[in-house]
Amino acid sequence: MSHHTITELANGKVYALHNTLPLDGRVSAYPASTRGHTASNCYLLCEDDGALLLDTGYAAHENAIIEQISSIIDTHTPLSIYPLRMNEFMSVGNAMAIAKHFNVVECYASVPDVVTWLEFETIDTNGKKMDTPDLPTTIFDPSKSYQVGKNGHRPINIMNAPIRLISTKWIYDESSKTLFSSDMFSHVSQDSPEGPWLIENDDTVTTSSFVRSFLLNTRYWWLEGVDTTSLRKGITDIFDRFDIETIAPGYGSILRGRALVEHHFSVLDDVLRSLDRSAVEARYIPRGMER
Amino acid sequence: MNTNNPLPREISPGVWWLGDCLVQHHKGKTYHSYNAAFLIIGSEASILIETGHPKDFPEIERQMKNILGDGRAPLKHLFITHQETPHSGGLGRVLELYPDLTVHGDVSDYHLAFPKHEHRLKKMEVGDSIELGDRQFIAVEPVIRDLRSSLWGFDTGGRVLFPGDGFAYSHYHWDGHCGKVAEEAKSLDLADVLAVFAERALFWTTFADMNIYADKLEEMLNDLEVDIIAPTHGLPILDIPTTMPKVREGLIACG
Repeated sequence: MSHHTITELANGKVYALHNTLPLDGRVSAYPASTRGHTASNCYLLCEDDGALLLDTGYAAHENAIIEQISSIIDTHTPLSIYPLRMNEFMSVGNAMAIAKHFNVVECYASVPDVVTWLEFETIDTNGKKMDTPDLPTTIFDPSKSYQVGKNGHRPINIMNAPIRLISTKWIYDESSKTLFSSDMFSHVSQDSPEGPWLIENDDTVTTSSFVRSFLLNTRYWWLEGVDTTSLRKGITDIFDRFDIETIAPGYGSILRGRALVEHHFSVLDDVLRSLDRSAVEARYIPRGMER
Repeated sequence: MNTNNPLPREISPGVWWLGDCLVQHHKGKTYHSYNAAFLIIGSEASILIETGHPKDFPEIERQMKNILGDGRAPLKHLFITHQETPHSGGLGRVLELYPDLTVHGDVSDYHLAFPKHEHRLKKMEVGDSIELGDRQFIAVEPVIRDLRSSLWGFDTGGRVLFPGDGFAYSHYHWDGHCGKVAEEAKSLDLADVLAVFAERALFWTTFADMNIYADKLEEMLNDLEVDIIAPTHGLPILDIPTTMPKVREGLIACG
């Protein structure tokens, strides 16, 4: 049973759309042995004249996500979509469904004609589009600045994730001082589907040993014995450059408060330092080896 | 649809390469790459490997129907190497087209992406096999992978390895490489085209000591007595002794 909740992270400005998943070994974002629950988090950033949706969630949550968005904006609000990981179902699973229900004016991507990357169901066997909504592509240009809405009062910073498996974007929202970190800082799952999905003090699990194990047993299995110098520098640069009060990951609990944010960055840096080739010998890691 | 698409192409008896090229831009150059699917025809059953890029679904379906329509064994299985959409995005469409078909592999996440087909997902581990009659399809270790849930496949009939994201490289459309195997693409600079994918899709390979993975790859190719490599993104490799040293060099150059 999935729980569908919304957390208002900044007054009228940022909403987290949580849709929970049982962790039963079948969620690739978590170690196969992890049990409990996590939340798939999409985020809606709002201004008076437009909104931006970060990620669109799994198809299993289609109805819930459409209801969640409907409870915040109306169907006329110009809505932009930014899938932070273009090749993953959690980011793109409901893009077309959302485009059918809302006034989606653009989808950010690094490739042209984004519909051809997102259309999983509605092109028939003759190549004819069936009920396919219009979804204009805005190709991300790192030399440009970006905003939520058009009023010019809501700058966001879009960056390549400094640590990533595949092409991944992180976004920093200056207004709410929130870093949207996609698949990083996603290790805080819960025993109950009821959460908590927002944590403001100690999350009780974020130690170096826990984070190291989480990374090595998920998509960051390859970190052991690599050169982590530039990864650490990229992460530190972001922490130094932005005034981050909240880390909003794509999965798991949101982390709020400067002390908690600093703790998470510090632990991640410590883990990466301990995994560097100067500290640990590189070796072949077989599939499924948990450590 | 590319009207000059040279695919499908039979790369080994009963093993068909399906799909079409995708244009990629990288550091001011324009490359082509594949998000291919493969069809293996057994005496009793056929299996599709990967579903292809969403843009190619209609083309792959057409290619597949033409091949299967010629009295060949029915399509009963789909194997997917991992959960990224250029590999698995067509899962729902294939299941709708073939109501008796089952999906095999590490099937994590598909119950979330295609919830109405959850009952047709069959989990495989390394060493598990699927009977196709006169040949078997075996799940094997994914030496170069991304998601922890990746798996590679091996066809015992043609001794063909299906390494998903392994051997991921672009090719030169301008030099006529589309639809060719690696050995036919004479001007292909593997170090150059491996780098295109390394930066975008296999970021970790730019940090790791790729000698370790190249060694493991060569060990696997020997152990399985692989004759042909059929990567999802690269051009198929039909002459492993000639091409593998170039791949090794390119992998190490990325790291």
